[in-house]
Amino acid sequence: MKLLIVEDDLEAARAMVTGLSERGHECVTAPDGEAGLKTARDNRFDVLIVDRMMPRMDGVTMVETLRGGGDQTPVLFLSALGEINDRVAGLNAGGDDYLVKPYALAELQARVEALSRRREMGSVQTVLKVGDLEMDLISREVRRAGVEIDLQPREFQLLEFLMRHGGQSVTRTMLLEKVWEYHFDPQTNVIDVHISRLRSKIDKGFERAMLQTVRGAGYRLEA
Amino acid sequence: MRLPRLFRTTPFRLTLLFLALFAAAASAFLAYIYIATAGEVTMRAEARVTREMASLEAVDRAGGLAALNQAVIERSSVDHPLLYLLMSRDGRPISGSIGASPTIGFTGDRTWTSFQLTDKGPDGGSVRQPARGLEERLPDGLRLFVGADIGESEFFVSKILRALWGAGALMILLGLGGGLMISRDVSRHIASLVHVIDAARGGDLHVRAKVRGSGDEYDELAAGLNDMLDRLERSVGGLRHAGDAIAHDLRSPLTRLRARLEAAMIDAEAGRTDANAALHQALEDADGVLRTFNAVLAIARLEAAGDAPAQTVFDPSDLAASVAELYEPLCEDKGLEFQLQASPGLRLKGNREFIAQALANILDNAVKYTPAGGAIMLRVRRRSSGDVEISVTDTGPGIPGHDRTRVVERFVRLENSRNAPGAGLGLSLVAAVAGAHRGQLELDEGPGAVDGGGPGLRVALVFPMAS
Repeated sequence: MKLLIVEDDLEAARAMVTGLSERGHECVTAPDGEAGLKTARDNRFDVLIVDRMMPRMDGVTMVETLRGGGDQTPVLFLSALGEINDRVAGLNAGGDDYLVKPYALAELQARVEALSRRREMGSVQTVLKVGDLEMDLISREVRRAGVEIDLQPREFQLLEFLMRHGGQSVTRTMLLEKVWEYHFDPQTNVIDVHISRLRSKIDKGFERAMLQTVRGAGYRLEA
Repeated sequence: MRLPRLFRTTPFRLTLLFLALFAAAASAFLAYIYIATAGEVTMRAEARVTREMASLEAVDRAGGLAALNQAVIERSSVDHPLLYLLMSRDGRPISGSIGASPTIGFTGDRTWTSFQLTDKGPDGGSVRQPARGLEERLPDGLRLFVGADIGESEFFVSKILRALWGAGALMILLGLGGGLMISRDVSRHIASLVHVIDAARGGDLHVRAKVRGSGDEYDELAAGLNDMLDRLERSVGGLRHAGDAIAHDLRSPLTRLRARLEAAMIDAEAGRTDANAALHQALEDADGVLRTFNAVLAIARLEAAGDAPAQTVFDPSDLAASVAELYEPLCEDKGLEFQLQASPGLRLKGNREFIAQALANILDNAVKYTPAGGAIMLRVRRRSSGDVEISVTDTGPGIPGHDRTRVVERFVRLENSRNAPGAGLGLSLVAAVAGAHRGQLELDEGPGAVDGGGPGLRVALVFPMAS
C-alpha cells in the first residue's frame, strides 16, 4: 500500500514509517498541511495519515480542502485531542477514522489496513465470504462449510466486522469502537470474552481455527 | 481641544442635553406668558376705555354738549388714569387732558389706536409709555377721544419677565452644578469598578468591587462583576488544581517506570536477564502510565468542566442494557450470576459516553472483586424523589464503612485489592462523572453475608431527573 504521512513531529513520523514499512507499505511523509495537500494532490495514495495540529495548515483544513476538490482517499486522523467533540470535528471534516495519541504501533497498523479495505468495498455486498465461512447480510444467516451457525445479534455484528476485515488484524479498541460504539478502554478484557464465545461457535468442530489471536495487537479472521 | 475628564462623562453630557431641552421649553413658556400677559393688559385697558366712552355718551345724551364738556373737564382735572379729549367737528380740541388726538386718519367710525404717551417721570425727565385709545363721533358731530395708559401694566410684565429670566439663569447654574456633582458621583463609582477590572485583567483575581448594599444599579453591577470574578477564580483554581493533580499523579508511575528500566538495564548488562524482555516490560509499563494519564486527565477535565459537555437526553435503561450486554459474558466466564433490572420509560440528561464509562468502571470492579459463585445485579429505577438511580450490587467482600469515602479519592486502593490489577482511579472517575451531572455516587453495604461471601457492595449513581 502507498501511504502519505502528514505529521510535523519528525520523530513521530519516522517511527510511523518504520512501523508501517515493516508491514510492507510504501510511505511518503510531509511536514505540514500545505506540503501534505500538495503531495496528496500530485500523487495517488491508498490511505492518508494526517496529524490534526500542524503549522501552516492544520489537518482538518487540509482534509476539508482535499475533500472539497473531490479527493476521496481514506483519511486517518491522528490527534492529541481525544474528546468526543474533537473526534466529531475530525470525522465531520471528512476523516474516516480517528486515532488519539499516543497510540500503539499495532493499533496504527491495524487501522490503516482497515481503511484501505474500506475503499474496495464501495459496491454494496449482500454476502460476505472468508474462506469457507459465509454470511448473508439479508437473511442474516451464517454458515461454515455449509453448516448453519446460530449467532446472537451482537455476535453477528462482531463477526460481520471481522469478515469485512478478513485477513487483517483488528484491535480490541477498534472492536469496542466499531461494534459497541464505545470510545473508552475497559480495564478488564471484556472483548476477549466475546471473541472466545464467537470462536467457540465458528471454530468448534472444525479442523482449522479461523479466528486467531494476534499477539500484542488483537484478532484476525483467517481464510 | 480636550475637555477635562469630568466634562466628558456621560452624566455631564446628559445634564447638558437636559438643560438645553429645558431652556428651549422655558423660552417657549416665557414667550407664552409674555404674550398672554401683554394681551390681557391691553384687553383690560380697552374694556376700561369702552366703559368710560359709554358713560360719557350717556352724559351727552342726558345733558347735551354742556354736560359732556363739564364731565370731560371734571374727569381730566382729577388725577384720573384715563386720558380725554373732546374735539370739534373738524378735530380742534375743545377740552381734555391731552392737546391733540393721536388717532391717524379718523374716518368717523369707532377707531382704536395704539400710541406712545410722553409723560413726566418722577425724576423730571420725560418717560414714554405705551397707551391705547378710542375715538368716536358723537351724535351731534363732535369727536370724543378716550385713552388709557397701559405702561404701568407693561412695567409689571417686564418685571415678571426679568424675574423669569433670572430664575432661568439660576436654574441653568444649579443644573450645571448638579450635573457636575452627579457626574462626579457616577465617575467615582465607575472608576472603582474600572479599577477592579484593571486589577483582574492584570491577573489579580482576588479583587472584588465594593457592594454598598444600597441595591442600586452600581451595586447590581458590582455584584455581577464579583460573581463573574468568583467564577473565574474558581475555574482558574480548578484548572491549576487539575494541573497539580496530574503532575502529582503521574510522578509516581513514571518514577516506577524509570526505576524498573534502570534495574532492567543493570540486570541486562550483568547478563542476568534478556534485554528484550526488559524492553517488553518497559513498554507495558509505559502503556500503564499512559492509561493512568488518560484516566487522570479525564477526571481532572470533568472536575474542572463543571457540567459534562455534549449532554443529550436518553433512556438510562437502554444504556444499562448495552453495557450489561458487554459485561454479561465476562460474568458468566467467571461463574457469576448476572441480572439486569431496568424500569422502562426513564429519561436522563447527560453525556452518554461518560455515564457508560462510569457504569463500565463499576461493573469492572464488581466482576473483579466478586468471587466465583457470587451474583451481580445491575438495576435502573426511578427513586420516589424523581431522581434516576443506576446501581450495581454484588456479593463480594464489600468496602468497610470507614473506607467508603476514601476509595473515591484518586489512587486509593484498599488492602485486600493490592493483588488485583488497577491503578485506583476507577471510582474517582465514577465520582467525577456523577459530579459533572450534578449527581451523587453512593456506596453502601450489599445484600449481607451470603454463603460465606459478602457482605457485598452496592454502588449507586444517582442523577437528577431530566426536565
